[in-house]
Amino acid sequence: MIELQDVSVAYRNEVAALAQVNLRVGKGEFVFIVGPTGAGKSTLLKLLYREERPTQGRIQVAGHDLTAMRPREIPHFRRKLGIVFQDFGLLPNKTVYENVAFALRAIGANRQTIRRQVPAALEMVGMAHRPDAFPHQLSGGEQQRVAIARALVNDPPLLLADEPTGNLDPDTSLGIVHLLNHINVRGTTVLVATHDSAIVDQMQRRVIAFAQGRLVRDEAHGAYRQDEAVVFHREVSAWR
Amino acid sequence: MALSSLGFLIHEAFLNIRRNGLMSLAALGTVTVALTVLGAAVWTAYRINEIAQQQPLKLDRIDVFLKTEVERPQTLAVRDRIRQLPGIRAVHLITKELAWKQMQSNEPSLTEALPDNPLPDVLEVEPASPSEVGALTQAFRDQARFPEVEAVNAAGQAVKTMLGFARVVKVIGGCAALGLFIATLFIVHNTIRLTVFARRREIRIMQLVGATSGFIRLPLLLEGLFHGVAGAAIAGGVVLFCGHEVSRFIAELQSPLVGNVPSLVRPVEVVAGLVAAGALIGLTGSYLSIRRFLKQV
Repeated sequence: MIELQDVSVAYRNEVAALAQVNLRVGKGEFVFIVGPTGAGKSTLLKLLYREERPTQGRIQVAGHDLTAMRPREIPHFRRKLGIVFQDFGLLPNKTVYENVAFALRAIGANRQTIRRQVPAALEMVGMAHRPDAFPHQLSGGEQQRVAIARALVNDPPLLLADEPTGNLDPDTSLGIVHLLNHINVRGTTVLVATHDSAIVDQMQRRVIAFAQGRLVRDEAHGAYRQDEAVVFHREVSAWR
Repeated sequence: MALSSLGFLIHEAFLNIRRNGLMSLAALGTVTVALTVLGAAVWTAYRINEIAQQQPLKLDRIDVFLKTEVERPQTLAVRDRIRQLPGIRAVHLITKELAWKQMQSNEPSLTEALPDNPLPDVLEVEPASPSEVGALTQAFRDQARFPEVEAVNAAGQAVKTMLGFARVVKVIGGCAALGLFIATLFIVHNTIRLTVFARRREIRIMQLVGATSGFIRLPLLLEGLFHGVAGAAIAGGVVLFCGHEVSRFIAELQSPLVGNVPSLVRPVEVVAGLVAAGALIGLTGSYLSIRRFLKQV
């Protein structure tokens, strides 16, 4: 599903956001990407949905060579992805149903498809009972469920989640990760970039750790290592 | 593109116009004012030119007004002297009696108030060519040669002045129109840019779920088109109304030069021209702002 060969990303100030990363993720896998702030997790996800281009190396996602991809091919490639963010990214003036339907409308889906797929996506994330609610009427966990429904409504083979539990309490976070796990069991490949050690430890799935732009650990059934957690908590404390 | 998608995009465009009501109103108002001034300038230049062009018979004619005390034999003598001048095609005498009779039928209230006929004999002189008008007018004004002449009126001079004025209006109007066109373009451009900025989250989501650039652009282009076309339609109405009122005022003045010259341009053509200009401004303005913004998102 995903293959990175010697991928590096350097910005103008010559800071390496990613350095010589080699990575393979197979179809149907569930992978946590961990590491302290600035380690390169978000850059990796941006590369995978072709928001950024590597300065070096080759990237293949869902059969597409992203390094050779032309700008006009990007929208069609992104239809094969579901993307979830920490801030949910819901449109405040649209209802739950409209937010999910928006993803289908934006790719030119017809009414029958929208009527069939939106309720199914809401059912899957457990939000079928509140289709007419506006985002401000929902809790953080519910908003993230709607965002996941929007990411999945087009039935993509790959789901990318960047800190999906960053704004949620531990119980709600666990609920969201179980939902992502459920989606993975149905056959979707899931990549989750996170700082949430509790969920990583509990799920015992593949863990890929980054530090200063380098892939430093890749374990089939890993946990969030305390040394990595300590670095993160130190950074957060310093920031506060 | 599917019909339902087109419907969705049109719906999105109008929803956005409604949501950004104040901004839309500002854009609409600015386009209306700019296109009204632009339309009025072009329309005025065109009408003046049209009126001037429709005076071919009067262009070469010189009216020679004789003094009121000049007797008929003297009038006939002057007429014969003029006929013998080089560059004359014809000379017609309009006697004071004939002129009085015409005035009595046209302006009875005016003639009733007068004790007797105050009008002089008039000689209508047709030069052999328009180039003779200047020299002949000067000759008739020479009191040493024509002491019987009171005044000389060359309609052609007035037409020439009018054509010159039309040329000035055309040049100034053209420059103003160009300036206004560019200014309006910038205003629409900025308005759409603000709208696009306000919708950056929506656009971002569209990009992430795989909407094509065309799909993202279309509602914003429609929005610009709406501002341009609606503003132009209102401007067209204002220009036509003002044009009609000014024409009526001039007709009431009963100027012999302007008379009742009908316009060859139909109202629908004026509105269509302005709407086409508005559509061009709206589309170009929004296209430029979207293109810049989509690169930044």
